[in-house]
Amino acid sequence: MTIDEKLTILTESAKYDVSCSSSGSTREENYGGLGATGTSGVCHAYSADGRCISLLKILLTNYCIYDCSYCINRISNDRPRAAFTPREVAELTINFYKRNYIEGLFLSSGIISNEDHTMSLLLKTLQLLRHEYHFNGYIHVKLIPGAAQELIIATSLLADRVSSNIELPSSKSLQLLAPEKTKEKVFLPLLQAKNYALENGKRPIGMSTQMIIGATPESDFEIMRLSDSLYSKAMLKRVYYSAYIPVNNDKNLPALNVPPPLLREHRLYQADWLLRFYDFKVDEIVNEEHPYLDERFDPKLAWALRNLHYFPIEINRAEKETLLRIPGFGARSVQKILRARRQKQLSTNDLIAMKISLKSARYFITVGGKQPEKTLMSYEALEYKLLALPKPLPTAQPTLFDHFASISGEL
Amino acid sequence: MIWRYDGSFEGFLSSVVQSYTDKTLPDLLTKSEVDIGLFDEILDISTNTKDALKLLHAIEKQLGEKIKEKIYHTFLCDDQPFENDLLRYIRLGFKEPSLLEMISHPLVYAIEEYQKRTLRTIHKMNAFSRFETLEDGTLYAQISPPRNVLPLMGGHFKKRFKHERFIIHDLKRSMALIYDGHSLELHNIHDYDLPQRSFDEEKYQHLWKRFFDHVAISERLNPNLQRSHVPLLYREWMCEF
Repeated sequence: MTIDEKLTILTESAKYDVSCSSSGSTREENYGGLGATGTSGVCHAYSADGRCISLLKILLTNYCIYDCSYCINRISNDRPRAAFTPREVAELTINFYKRNYIEGLFLSSGIISNEDHTMSLLLKTLQLLRHEYHFNGYIHVKLIPGAAQELIIATSLLADRVSSNIELPSSKSLQLLAPEKTKEKVFLPLLQAKNYALENGKRPIGMSTQMIIGATPESDFEIMRLSDSLYSKAMLKRVYYSAYIPVNNDKNLPALNVPPPLLREHRLYQADWLLRFYDFKVDEIVNEEHPYLDERFDPKLAWALRNLHYFPIEINRAEKETLLRIPGFGARSVQKILRARRQKQLSTNDLIAMKISLKSARYFITVGGKQPEKTLMSYEALEYKLLALPKPLPTAQPTLFDHFASISGEL
Repeated sequence: MIWRYDGSFEGFLSSVVQSYTDKTLPDLLTKSEVDIGLFDEILDISTNTKDALKLLHAIEKQLGEKIKEKIYHTFLCDDQPFENDLLRYIRLGFKEPSLLEMISHPLVYAIEEYQKRTLRTIHKMNAFSRFETLEDGTLYAQISPPRNVLPLMGGHFKKRFKHERFIIHDLKRSMALIYDGHSLELHNIHDYDLPQRSFDEEKYQHLWKRFFDHVAISERLNPNLQRSHVPLLYREWMCEF
């Protein structure tokens, strides 16, 4: 099989993984040769679905001994199979990097023969890249649940980011659709990599995971609660959400013609953002009473509508944290207001001059004691007004946010 | 009165000096012939490097390193009629330095926007420039960015291609940034022979296109989103499009 054919098959098999971030490496080792990493990532291209291409995202192989119902590469599917050698992957990475196509490699794999064998092939690839090609660019590698601890640790020492996908938001769904996996098994390699770093006085490597949205019946509340504990307890850097695209016919899954829930995915990313950078608690966004995110409004606006007593907020006096809670204001607008109001008392015209969007914010603020929109209306009236606004297009993945990383505080 | 300068940074700074010595402001300061009408009165500003450097020094000393950088970045935003704004901005700064902090001031806001445009273009060019490997291993990129960002692209690529040799060639402005493995230099390039590509260049371009086409998820096709991230004008030199 030619490299060309392998690349086609192994790209097709890898494309459902969402993560493509190349930001926030904290690696201290320098392998001396080609490449560099920075705190903010670079999107080198955008594919026809509008998603950022930052890394060469491929599988080492799509042969797999597992039979996970949601996965295109499951053993019971009749698909073309291929396997790269570690050297082929290294050559591709180096040659793509030199041409400035990519920031580095995102390498994942189906389980070939067994977990240890697969993990050691991934490790071999990283060793080649780091030690023989002296590649110093970004490497994100999947850790294989069930592989030996030594292999996991050796691999994580060579990478910039490691991940292991939980895929389904509850143990029950996991048991139903991926009988070979359990939550504990999936997170064990991440735990091992983290503990090794901590015990040896190294900075813990960036870790992430991914959840498939809409394949199973969990509510947004359950999903966000899981994310929250992954951020706070497991110290993950990112949780990715992937709208389920039906790839297999299975009685336990949505039918093949069900479109992926892109808007729900988008709202989950927004909620995730509120959790990480806007100091919101899960309960404020979704809770027993409101277990699903409102698809009509972004979650901050939805929260504001449920908490009208919190408003209006005076933009000349409110603290940064309070300003960040105003619907329609992002980190950038707040930064501008904080800077400008040091010089003078701000008026509505000043806000307009700084091109701060007041579309939704104007119902929730006062400027020098006056409200741009006369009275704060009832929930119903506001809802009506706000729904008349043009809807933002759901984006495939919050890649835009990555550009703003330095402002919003993500490392 | 229209003032015309030679398009260089020194030339622009000389115009600022002129406005102080003449105690006047032009109706329009421009480097472009297009902006000038048949019956306009024109003053050609002669570039005086010594004066320009003196002014630059004063900017740094009195207004600070950050403002100096802002002025340079604005200058590189060269497809916009920025000169009038920048001239008035500098004069505002010397008269009332604290006003430069007030971003709700229309002039200050305008300059911030020019700078942002330049910085955004740098970011895009760092991401979207495509290198080809030449016979001797040199990496060669052709670009034609909407703003004059080539002088600010060296650091980024030097860091990642430390042990390589590379050339970034701005065809629109006939300039090239050349790194020989040790130091970076900016050159004017008026004649050049199209260099010979390495034997495997075509193969890797082909493989990259393969990857690019197959990594897209057909159920999520969204060409508008793609275009908002990679506007058409950047695609000219990107081999995957």
